[in-house]
Amino acid sequence: MSDRSPPRTGYQHDALLYAGIPDFVSRTVPFVRGGIEAGEPVLVATSAEKIDLLRADLGADAAAVVFADMAVVGANPARIIPFWQEFVDQHTAEGRSIRGIGEPIWPGRSADELVECQRHESLLNVALSPATPMWLLCPYDIDALDPAVVEEALHSHPFVTECTTQRESGAFRGVDASAAPFDAPLAPVPSGCHEFSFGPGSLSVVRDLVSASASGAGLDAARAQDLVQVAHEVAANSVRHGGGRGALRIWRDAGALICEIRDQGRIDQPLVGRERPGVAVEAPRGLWLANQVCDLVQIRCLQAGSVVRLHMRSYT
Amino acid sequence: MSLVRSAGGGELQPMAGWHEGEPLYTDKQFVIRHTVPPNGLTFAGVLDLFNADSVAGAVAPLLSGEGDLHIDLSKVEFCDVSGIRALVSTAQSGRRRLVLHGLPRALHRVMMLVGWGDLPSLQLCDCGMERK
Repeated sequence: MSDRSPPRTGYQHDALLYAGIPDFVSRTVPFVRGGIEAGEPVLVATSAEKIDLLRADLGADAAAVVFADMAVVGANPARIIPFWQEFVDQHTAEGRSIRGIGEPIWPGRSADELVECQRHESLLNVALSPATPMWLLCPYDIDALDPAVVEEALHSHPFVTECTTQRESGAFRGVDASAAPFDAPLAPVPSGCHEFSFGPGSLSVVRDLVSASASGAGLDAARAQDLVQVAHEVAANSVRHGGGRGALRIWRDAGALICEIRDQGRIDQPLVGRERPGVAVEAPRGLWLANQVCDLVQIRCLQAGSVVRLHMRSYT
Repeated sequence: MSLVRSAGGGELQPMAGWHEGEPLYTDKQFVIRHTVPPNGLTFAGVLDLFNADSVAGAVAPLLSGEGDLHIDLSKVEFCDVSGIRALVSTAQSGRRRLVLHGLPRALHRVMMLVGWGDLPSLQLCDCGMERK
């Protein structure tokens, strides 16, 4: 794309469709250089491989750019919005414009991660206000990704850049729809999976069940404790806000232990778990904590109530 | 019985050598005791959404005095965000600073992750962090 900057006064969230890694470099380098020349802080979060290529191409200019390995900062996609928020908070208080490149989706993402990444992309339209002076480019590799993934990028981004032209997506679902309750289908629970109904008197049983399953799945002690803690926090939310009770199910899938908590409450804050808790003591913290310690957290708001699935892999 | 000891190396931690005194608060899952010397408390058991407010209510009157109030948490089996919130809220509303000792590692981690690791009214002592 060219580095001509259309007059931008506020937040721009663009999908960049590229074809293969050389194309990625040739399309993103002008965007990065344009930011550097304008004196704008630039943050690039993509794969380690692409970071190396960008550094090589940018030469000495690379020193003006902050790079982050998306496989680390965005391993759980729900941690990416606070990551961008921190960058925004660092620089925009003094009225500066900023640029970012964030590539949360790559072919190695699991099916569950992909859905959460797509939710993340939609929520980026909600999390940052239209006045935020940030130009954020989200690259999608059309050579490597399923066409349906590229199609969804057109729904989650107001603008799209293909070849050298930037255009309105035309398929963007809008900010309100981006914030709508999320009810994407979840993978079926394995048949025969035991269900434990908990209430105010049985949160200690929830902790014991999760702890036993974590040991059985080979989680190390620290991660087992983390999972027990966040399962308790989610179940405690059920007791307090979700109708006083809920159902816990635990199973293993593809190297991860999954704890599911269902209740009859509604989780109606779209950014729940994605906003760093402020100083206000009463601010909720349970789902924030879940996102900090779990590899993946799936939150669904269904007609029958809420579902939260906590994923903890056993090999890290 | 003496409270939190150093993790090794013989360096004394602030509450090492303190002794448990009379109970201040008891429920079916949690006990708070005074200490000797008297500017401390020990917590033991489970602190969660069910007793967080009661525990905060029991501690609050002690926070109008002078100097730091030291709390040994080494015998806390589990503490949830509601429990920590009650401690933070109590610390912010009182005059005395709270100093927490012997935090179980998981609890220390949770406090850091939810943004309560660096508050002026609530000091985390790292004694006991080496313990399992």
